[in-house]
This record gives sequence, structure tokens and C-alpha cells, in this order.
Amino acid sequence: MSNIKDENLILPRLEEEPNSDLRVGVFICRCGGNISDVIDIRKVKTSLNATVVEEFENLCSLNGRKIIRDSIVSENLDRVVIAACSPISHEKTFQDYIQPLNPYLMDMANLREHCSWIHDDNPEKATEKAIVLINASIEKVKQSNAVDPILCRTPDNVAIVGGGISGMSAALSLAKQGMHVDLIEKSATIGGNMAKIGKVFSPVKIAEECGLCLLNPILNEVVWNKNINILTNSKVLKCDRRGGNFSLLVESSPRYVDSEKCISCGKCAEACEVEVADSWNDGLSTRKAIYKPFSQAYPDSYVIDMENCDKCSECVKACPMNAIKLRGEKEMVPLNTGSVILATGHKLFDPKLRPEYGYGRFENVITQSELGRIMGVNGPTRGKLQKLSNGEVPKRIVMIQCVGSRDEKPDGHKYCSKVCCMVALKNANIIKNKYPDTDVVICYTDVRTPGMYEKYYKHSQQSGIRLIRGRPGEVAKNGENLIVRTEDTLQKDFIEIETDMVVLSTALEPSEGTKEIAEIMDVGVTEDFFIKESHPKIKPVTTDVKGAYVCGTAQDPKDITESIMQSTAAAAKVSEMIHNGIEIEPFIAEIDQEQCNLCGNCISTCKYKALSVKDDLMYIDPMSCSGCGKCLTVCDKNAININGNIDEKIFGTIYGMLKDKKKDDRRIIVFLDSIGYTAADNIGVNRLNFPESIYIIKVHSVNRVMPKHIIYALQNGADGVFIGEYPGDLMYDEVEKKMETIKEKISTNNMNPERLGFSHVYIPYFRGLADKFIAFDEKISSLED
Amino acid sequence: MDLKLNEDPLNLANTILKDIKSSENLGLLRCVQCGMCTSSCPGAMHSNFNPRDMIEKILEGDETVIEEEDIWNCFYCYTCHSICPVGNSACEVNQILRQFAISKGTANKKIQPFLEFGDIFLSMALGGIPSIFFPEMREDIGEDWWEFKMNLDNVRNKLDLGSYIPPQESIDEVNKLLINSGFEERIEAIRNNKKP
Repeated sequence: MSNIKDENLILPRLEEEPNSDLRVGVFICRCGGNISDVIDIRKVKTSLNATVVEEFENLCSLNGRKIIRDSIVSENLDRVVIAACSPISHEKTFQDYIQPLNPYLMDMANLREHCSWIHDDNPEKATEKAIVLINASIEKVKQSNAVDPILCRTPDNVAIVGGGISGMSAALSLAKQGMHVDLIEKSATIGGNMAKIGKVFSPVKIAEECGLCLLNPILNEVVWNKNINILTNSKVLKCDRRGGNFSLLVESSPRYVDSEKCISCGKCAEACEVEVADSWNDGLSTRKAIYKPFSQAYPDSYVIDMENCDKCSECVKACPMNAIKLRGEKEMVPLNTGSVILATGHKLFDPKLRPEYGYGRFENVITQSELGRIMGVNGPTRGKLQKLSNGEVPKRIVMIQCVGSRDEKPDGHKYCSKVCCMVALKNANIIKNKYPDTDVVICYTDVRTPGMYEKYYKHSQQSGIRLIRGRPGEVAKNGENLIVRTEDTLQKDFIEIETDMVVLSTALEPSEGTKEIAEIMDVGVTEDFFIKESHPKIKPVTTDVKGAYVCGTAQDPKDITESIMQSTAAAAKVSEMIHNGIEIEPFIAEIDQEQCNLCGNCISTCKYKALSVKDDLMYIDPMSCSGCGKCLTVCDKNAININGNIDEKIFGTIYGMLKDKKKDDRRIIVFLDSIGYTAADNIGVNRLNFPESIYIIKVHSVNRVMPKHIIYALQNGADGVFIGEYPGDLMYDEVEKKMETIKEKISTNNMNPERLGFSHVYIPYFRGLADKFIAFDEKISSLED
Repeated sequence: MDLKLNEDPLNLANTILKDIKSSENLGLLRCVQCGMCTSSCPGAMHSNFNPRDMIEKILEGDETVIEEEDIWNCFYCYTCHSICPVGNSACEVNQILRQFAISKGTANKKIQPFLEFGDIFLSMALGGIPSIFFPEMREDIGEDWWEFKMNLDNVRNKLDLGSYIPPQESIDEVNKLLINSGFEERIEAIRNNKKP
């Protein structure tokens, strides 16, 4: 039966009692009266057609296990039905109790939550319904095959893309747990943005700390750890995925200086005559074409920026260690890893996109990042605060917040960049400490310093920093000085602030590397192009690509503390997978390679990104596949099947529910996913009612219910079919859309499409679900055809 | 402003959002009172008009803002519109408020000087600048403009452009439309200082 396309609709003829020679044992639980006080167990037992029918007070007890096991062995049973409570409570228990039988050869008929607790006012109807529910389970188990859970293991090495504070923190955590890490960094040194921040703010300390002093020990540990292989000047070009296996192709550009030989004496840079803007100082100073990014950089070695080198060879002559070679080729490094962590970080909003603030036109309009470099003792002015125009200490500094953040204009970002309030307060505090005569004014929209940071905000107010609530509209030139035009919105006063320095707090946005890796790896991104986590609340580090995790500012704007927390969380997730593997329910898709013509329809249709082509073969990643069955519907060659006879089990259950239906009976078949099924259990737990006509089937994914199942049910006596799905399911929109086509198919089969109902379900919304059952039952009873 | 339990302060804002002149997705309710509009408003620089304050009053449901003198100091430069970080437009909101004032009949004095616009539409089916503005414009733009205006017919003849006045049948048609649609009645009500 059944491997047919929906269009053909050749329905099975289950009346012939398939597999009728199978020996089925039915075990009925009295559940301490919870079931037997309502349902007439004796009547049930005499109405069933099975090899063995037993009853027991508490089947889930160890004595229950003995009865089930003894009976399986002595009666040589092939299949087992447990008629007891909901599978949500005890399926795992009974899967264990039926050993030595395969756990998937058992089904539970839910006599408690879906019957005795619902229909306790009508024992006669409850007893009839119990018989139908057990028959459905008997027919279902007859269609079951023995299948084994799939255990997936992933190799214990990890690629981390991005060598900033996030990537380094994740690398260290994994390396210390014994895993091998390849740390891939695009620039010539690891360290990232944190290396150039200067001082950093902390959640508790009311003081600014030296960023490099905090970073350096971490950087050293990364360097010394034997489990970490650092690849600088390197970027990921390609990434293919197979289950717990990624193959990456990394391009490593030559450094032209042998890091093993170089002693960082700097004679090469003295000899070099090419001067270019030093990006480590935000272009506020220059460096040579042969350079070391900063003194604590790793590798502790000079490097040549070949784009600017004029190949004069002066450095080669000057080097006492003979470490420099002007020729070098890019190297392709293939990596095979079990997981990937994306720590590709952020960049800053281009302030030139807000020309009203004059950045690029007025020398003394700078960014917070540039101010950080100017205030840094290892920066272009060796820590001396000065105006770029004339080197004097500014008399006043006006900081403008939210430049590019909380901004719905073109190129702006709707989100709050989260760190800029603290960055502005930090820099203002440092200035107030060292230059008390400089007036610092922060023009803000709202000050956002949640949690302990609020204390730092109060501390800053006390140190004489002035805060004006208003978002400036313009920075203009006024002779030598600048004018910031703003409204003091608390005073309702339009003011012009004369100043000699303006500092813009620019937004954090995803770095180019973040956008690139998202595209290379086909990882989902947010509307702002940050890498999207699977669930913003409960899955904050996993991505929609199994085995790929995200941390730091690649995911959204955050400070160093939060970046480190997320990095270690990502490392823990990788470790979880490596150490225990993942046991996967076996009901997933399977490819018949003989039939598959590699058309790729399934790849683009899969919402779980489970399919890929490798070495001319279609591959389904068991870790990603949800068994939703969407791929089956687009496969023209019928080359995909779902393990575990799901189709046949659905047909069997429907058949069992309808086979003894009498003329005036009304039977409505309800398909629910596990969320909906739990909600239906809650109806019983809370002793609410729904009509006797409601018969519920639990399915792995609602998408597995095909038009052929629905039409089969309606043709064989079901008065209605109702489908409930949790809107958080990735397939929800798809299923909702599908309902219309199914209704058309019902019409073309000369039945009333109104007999199909669809609703969203939520666990706490059980009263609503009960009401929906009642309303649907009323609607069905009013239909005349 | 006090707020009673049964009052909805957003009535006024919602009426504005539903107005035919209000752009789709106007950010009025998203305003966080940052003051960027006022910071860049020439009207605010030279008068007591404060677009942020105008929006604040609207969001508080304070209908007295409709009768405020200051709202007539906006001259539609649209800087606030192009600069607002949440997609609000104080300028557009201002135009809607003015329309409310006109409909209530409290703004007749403010728009009477412009009635000649309507008169020219009715008599010539054309848009034209009211003559009361000529002396100031002559002073601001200069004598060349005035001479050009006086000799417009000659200039057009030389360039073979014909008359700029539409044919009489078109004028009659437009006139009929303006009368039947109630435009003329509205103009006259304002001229006579009645509620239009």
C-alpha cells in the first residue's frame, strides 16, 4: 500500500485485515480506579480481538512490567498495545517494559486523559470509546516495524571563525575540555576589536579597567594551548556539511615574514619607506607596509601588507634574522570538523551616512572608537586628549548618542546598539578624571544602563558630566568652533551648544565577515543581517544549521561580558554534542539512491536544511531531518521514504477507529502534533469535556498527514477531520496553506470540504481547544450531505 | 495634564492617523520625544513653534493644540519629516491640525489672505499667486521678476506660446466642478468669517 503520489489517490483496502497473523497483546491499566471507575473493563476485554488481553491495577509499576514481560515471552507476542494513560506521561516507561521487543512495536491507547477523565459523566459512551481507541492502537501496531533509534556522533574538533574575544573565549573553553580547535582569523593577528578599545567598563566596578590587560592573558592562553591551531590572514571560502561533519576550505594568505624566525625587532619597519593609514588606530596615525598590528599581537611577528608594499627589498636587507621573503603563495587549507562556531563580530556604522553631523567635513567631529584610540596610551597621541585640528585639549566635548541606532531612516538601524550609553559614559568619565576643565556634555535620547550599570551612570553624573535629553539635529561650523543644535526636551528649550569637539556614538552593525560566512554556510540571518539564533529565548546560541553555533556581536550588539558568556555557552553546546552524541528518533527521511536523479527539489523545499548533494549522491542529515515529510511531496521520482512506516501506521489507526462504526455514530478524527496532544491531555487533566465523537491521533509532525489520509478517513466513515498544529512549528505556514488544496481535493472526491477543520494549538490553551472540538462537532452534526 | 480613567488620550492621535492626509505607516505613536525635529526646525529657531511639543500635546490628547497660534509658524520645509528617526512627520501632522482648525472655523483669519488662490481657480481655472503678496515679492525677488510678470503676454507671443489662459469652455467646466463640489461655498464661508 501507499507509496503513491497524492494525485493518484489509490487508497489502501484495509478491510482485508493486513498482517492478521500477528500476535498482539493488549494490556489494560485500571490506573487505581482512574480508568476502571468509568470504563467497564470487563466489557472492553470481551469486545477485543487480540491474542492476549490482560488488565492490571497499575501497569506502570514494576509488577506491571512483570506481567507484560512474562506475557510477551510466554505468548510469543509480536506487538503490544498498552491501554492506559497518555503516551506523554509513560511512553518511555512502556517502551522499556516491552523489552525484548523493539520499543517501536508498542502503542499506547490513551484511556485516561482522552476518555475516562473526559467522559466521566457517561460510562457507557466512555466504554464504547475505549474499545475504539484500543482497536485503533491494535491496527496501528500491526503496521509497525522494528526500528532503532539513530545515534549520531560528531568528530571532536571544532572550527571557530573569528579570533576576537568571543572566538578566543569559545576556543579556550573547548581546548581545555580536550577538543581540538582551529581558530580562523581574517586579519594578521587575533585579538579583535577588544584590543583597541583602550579602557573597558565592568558591570560591578565603578572604574574603568585596562582592556588589553584583561585581554592579554586570554590571548596568551590561546597561543599556548596545544589544542588550538591559530590561522591568521585566513578566511573560509567554502563550507559543506554532512551531519555532524563540516568540510571547510580555508584560504590562508602569506605573511611574507616567517613568524618562527622573526624576533619583532622592528628594523624592517624602520627600513620601509611606504606609509599607510594604520587601521588599528582608526586611521589616525600611519604605519609602514611591513608592520606589527600592535605590540601584543599574535603571531608575535611582523607581517607585510602586500597591497601597499612596493617590493623595494629594503626590509629583506635590514632583517638580521633573514625572516622575510617577498614571494609567497596563498595556501588552501582543507579542514574537517564536527562543529563550527561563528564569532565573526561587528563593525561600526559609517557616520558619513548622517551628513548633518559633519563627520568627514569637520576635523573635530570624531567617533567614540577614535576617541578611544586618542585616549589610549598605545594610541596615536600616546593617551593625550587633543583636537585633531590643532593638537589642543578641547574645552568642551559634546557626545551625540544613537548615531545610526534607533533610527528608521535609510541605512539606519531600528535596534538599540546596547553598549553606546556605557561607552559614552566611560569615555566621559575618563576625560573628567584626567582633564577636569574639559566640559563633557552627552546629548541622549534615553540613557540605557540596565542592571548594575545604573550605578556607573549615577557615578558619572556625580563626576560632573552633563546630560542633555535631546537628539541633535545638526552640527555646524562657527568660525574655529562647532555648534551643536538640539532641543533640551526636558526644558522645552531650543539650544545651540558651542563646542570644539563632537564625538558620535555610532551603531554596532554586522561585520562584512559576518555577512560573508552567513552566506557561505547558508545560515539564517535577521532582518538586520546578524546571524539568527534558532530561538531568541530558549536556543540562544544554536543556528538553523545543525552543528553551527553563534556567539558575540555576530549575533547582535552586546558588550564584552555578554560576548564571553555567549561564547562559553556555544562551547558547552558543542561539548554536549561531542561527548554524548545525539540519539535521534528513527522516523526520518531516507533516500533511495537508485531512484534519485539529483533534481534538488527536496533541497530547496526543506525548512530544516537537512539535504545536500555530496559526491553525486543525495544525502539526508539525520541530525537535521525532522521527519516532516515535505520532501516526499516534491520528489518526482518517489525516491524518498520516511522510516518507520508512518503512512501505513496513520492508515491503520484510521481504519481501527472506523472499522466498527455504527450508522448513527458520529466520529471525528483529530490529528495533533505533540504540543496539541499535550493540550488535549490538559483538557482531561482539568476534567473538562469534549464530545464523544472526538478521536485523537498523535502524529510526529502534522505535515505527515497527507491528503490521501484525510480522504481515506472521510470515505470510510469519518464525519470530520480536524487538524491542530503549534504555530511555532517551522512547517506551520506550509500546513495552513496546504489546507485549501486539501479542501479542493475533498470537493473533487464529491465530499463536503467543510468536513475538514484546522486550528493552531498551544499548551496552555486547552480550554480553547475543548471549545473548538465542541464547535467543530456541532458544525459537523449540522452538515446535511 | 490630568487623565481620567475613562479618557483615552490617544483619540486625537488616532484621528490624525486616520486622516486622509496622513501617510501610510506614519510614526506618530512611535515618537519618543527625542527632539530631533525641533533641533533642526527653522520655525523653532525663529519663533515659539516647537514641533516636538506639538506632538507631545497630541499624544497627551490635548486638543487645545489645534487652536494654538504657534502651529501656523511651520512653513513646510519638511526637514523634520526627512530627519525623524521613527518615521514621524511633524510637518504632515501640522497640516492635519491646521485642517482641523479650518474645519472648526477658528482659523479663518489665518487663511483669508490666501482666498484669492480659490478665486483665481474659479474665474480662470488656474493656480495663481494672490495679488496681496506682490509688493513683498517684488521687494524680495526684484524688479526683473516684476517686469517679466507685467510683460508675460508679450514674452509668450514672441515665443509663439499663445495665451496661458485656458479656453472659456474649460474655465466653465472647472467652475462648474468647483461650485458643485462645494468649493466655492467653503471659500465664501471663510471670507465671511463663518464655519466652512
